[in-house]
Amino acid sequence: MRSVSINRAAVLLLFLASVFSVKGQEAYTVETITMPEGLTSETGGIDFLPDGRLVACFIRGEVMIYDPAAKHWSIFADGLHEPLGIMAVSNAELVVMQRPELTRVKDTDGDGRADVYEKLTDDFGLSGNYHEFNYGPARDKKGNLFIALNTASPGGSVNQELRGRFNPFGRDLQQGLYEMYSVVPYRGWVMKLTPDGKLHPYASGMRSPNGLGFDLEGNLFVTDNQSDWVETSTLYHVEEGKFYGHPASLVWNKDWKGKSPLALPVKELDAMRTKAAVLFPQGIMANSPSQPLCDATGGKFGPFAGQLFVGEMNRDRIVRVMLEKVQGQLQGACIPFLDGHGLRKGNNRLAFAPDGSLWTGQIAYGWSGDIGIQRIVFNARAPMDVYTMKLSHDGFELTFTQPVNKAEASNPDNYKFRHYFYKYQRKVKHEGADNTMQQDLQEVPVTGISISADQKKVSLKLGALKPGYVYELKLGGITSNEGTPLANKLICYTLNKLLNPADGNR
Amino acid sequence: MFLAKRILVLLLFVLPVKYGLGQSAATPPTVIELKVLPGLQYDVARFTVKPGAAVKLNFTNTDDMSHNLLITKPGARVNVVNAALALEEKGPAMNYVPKSADVLWSIPVVSPDQTRSLSFKAPSKAGAYPYVCTFPGHGFVMYGVMYVSPDGKMPDLKTDPNIPPSRQEDQVAAAGSHDMHNQHDMHKMPEPKKVTASHPYTPVAPYLYRIFMEDAGPAAIAVSLPQELSYCWDAGLCRLRYAWKGGFVDNTGIWKGHADAVAKIVGTIFYREITTSPLRIGKADEIPVTDYKGYRLINKYPEFHYTLNGTDVYELILPKADGKGLIRKFRIPDARKTVWLACAVNNESETYEASSGVWEKDKLKLSPQQARDFSVTITSYPLVYNKKRR
Repeated sequence: MRSVSINRAAVLLLFLASVFSVKGQEAYTVETITMPEGLTSETGGIDFLPDGRLVACFIRGEVMIYDPAAKHWSIFADGLHEPLGIMAVSNAELVVMQRPELTRVKDTDGDGRADVYEKLTDDFGLSGNYHEFNYGPARDKKGNLFIALNTASPGGSVNQELRGRFNPFGRDLQQGLYEMYSVVPYRGWVMKLTPDGKLHPYASGMRSPNGLGFDLEGNLFVTDNQSDWVETSTLYHVEEGKFYGHPASLVWNKDWKGKSPLALPVKELDAMRTKAAVLFPQGIMANSPSQPLCDATGGKFGPFAGQLFVGEMNRDRIVRVMLEKVQGQLQGACIPFLDGHGLRKGNNRLAFAPDGSLWTGQIAYGWSGDIGIQRIVFNARAPMDVYTMKLSHDGFELTFTQPVNKAEASNPDNYKFRHYFYKYQRKVKHEGADNTMQQDLQEVPVTGISISADQKKVSLKLGALKPGYVYELKLGGITSNEGTPLANKLICYTLNKLLNPADGNR
Repeated sequence: MFLAKRILVLLLFVLPVKYGLGQSAATPPTVIELKVLPGLQYDVARFTVKPGAAVKLNFTNTDDMSHNLLITKPGARVNVVNAALALEEKGPAMNYVPKSADVLWSIPVVSPDQTRSLSFKAPSKAGAYPYVCTFPGHGFVMYGVMYVSPDGKMPDLKTDPNIPPSRQEDQVAAAGSHDMHNQHDMHKMPEPKKVTASHPYTPVAPYLYRIFMEDAGPAAIAVSLPQELSYCWDAGLCRLRYAWKGGFVDNTGIWKGHADAVAKIVGTIFYREITTSPLRIGKADEIPVTDYKGYRLINKYPEFHYTLNGTDVYELILPKADGKGLIRKFRIPDARKTVWLACAVNNESETYEASSGVWEKDKLKLSPQQARDFSVTITSYPLVYNKKRR
């Protein structure tokens, strides 16, 4: 008994010590933006105007502008139908993704209030089902706009009056009563709006694609939310014509023959699909990832320039994604970027301010989450974190943001690997919509450790690696040379492809 | 409201099965039935048991998501939720139940449509013992409280700090909103109901919501006009659907999210457009292809822009000055052919007055020149004659 209480006291002291020593030297701090009175700040989209002011849209239809210098909110537009995405075009013009259409919203008389609401496209179906959310837009370098269309929920119904041709094959009423469905055009698709105003189907297989974004090389990424057919949440590298796994959307393939894609053999569907670049293990990393945003601040926001940040709705977290090209395909790892520190849940939309701070718009909307807007500020103090995790021939190579303490980094007890995979499968009836099974979950011993001369790189030898698995690494008490503890210790690498054994090229 | 009723019914059901003092081996346990409502809520947000009572808790997962249930020490709910989150990669195998002295009892993750039961002896110490689902993301919203109390008393529901704030609101809303949804019946003209819309400004007519409406396509637009008039315009079909007098719309259901809902009309419908494609250019008997383009606000009134077979049409709807009807203004700058507007002139309860053109049976016929700018004023006799009734 006595030793227990001593231990507890020691733990408490250590905890207090760590709190006080870390205080004042945090790499990132979270600030909460005061929202205007009367606003239900369920945030559907945020962006920055060329003049540096924030523009945000909210579920009840408002578009508000916030001047960070004056800390002042003003109303720009109202009456929009569940706007879930916003993109600034100029100080007086925005593009908003709302339920019925993608809309250009303009202030043409210069009074600071929008007076023109112009349809950019409404060339997609609506059944009235509550879950047919629309996401985007994300713009490529050529000026094309990409949007994503959520499938309908089996928890909701279909209206008598629809928009778009009804196709009953987008749902399997025999065995698919627990599946999301697509009975009006292009639900479950990523769509591309070309500058001539035409909306083109671009890629299929989405379930609940709440977030689109480009990286610096112009790759399009879309997240999808775990449940039927999506065993754990995903980050897809989306390319034209590809199918990413949720079958309902296939019914809108140009040459689709009259049958339900949901009833196809899983093997057949599996052969058609393109796997996620990164899996977010359910209940571990993220349950409801949202918008991916590439760090285009060139170092203003810290050492992670070029990497992706992804909001998480279910807990007080923003995830970071680091990718590499292996055998011609992007794959990589995810790691919490920021947990807690005053960050709330419901992180739905991200945007970088001109000063390099990362703003997060939060939402709950009947799910778990929070509402409001916060900003994350980099304090120009280098964080101690994993910078990249890369695949090697027999294991992984970790690069840290700072040189590591050699003794700690050489200790194999500080690397706990597990591997598991997620089955591509149909949900069975009595399974929770957010229930997930990790298959072949096993611990993987580290058999060799080598540290680079600059003490930033640690190569971990695991032996034979299994493609199709997530390699989850829980880091132990590794600190920097100066004694700063690791900010984040759980990292998950999605191993789709092994390095080419012949030449060792990536 | 439905929600609230269910809670009340369940509470009524729970209360009679509680047993008095003097628990003995033979005394049947207090049985609590817990289910799940959509939107991450236990259907029973609170209940009471007596100190030391034998309790049997039957938890049926009626949701489409997975849930567990942990009963914690008083005041320990948030700590337990955070401890469950801190399990990280260990969470799934542990059913998200952290090893903590704060957790008194737990039911592991229960799949939809499954029931798990838990029997325990209630604490001897009176107090508020939270129950909570610690499935990641659920813990901060999905909880309730077991009051251990010798006299069965609970705090005022409206201010009970131990239940989710939304459950306090449900009760308040249920109390005051029985007459919120009026009958759409011309024989009764009830008082307009004011709906307090939560915005960072006070909406003043004219203003609009794009929102799901009853008897309209999914791209509906609800417009509030002065004179307590409102109308629903369908951006899918490019036409007016109906108009009503009274309040505007109650969006409470829609704004909650996570369920099918439409904006509820507050007031009484006095006009319905029954003709499909009432406006036609060229052939009176041919249904044109419509394409919605958007709207521009003119003195805050939306002027809708759409095309009929490629010809631009602008439509603006204003309240009649006396509040007894609507003025529909159309602009077709480049009609080139005869324009027809079908109106329900045979409906004895309305009159139609056109600014130009000639009536051919139920259709107003306009030359391309006249169609550049014309209006039709609709007067509704029920609005003229009916008195406000209580």
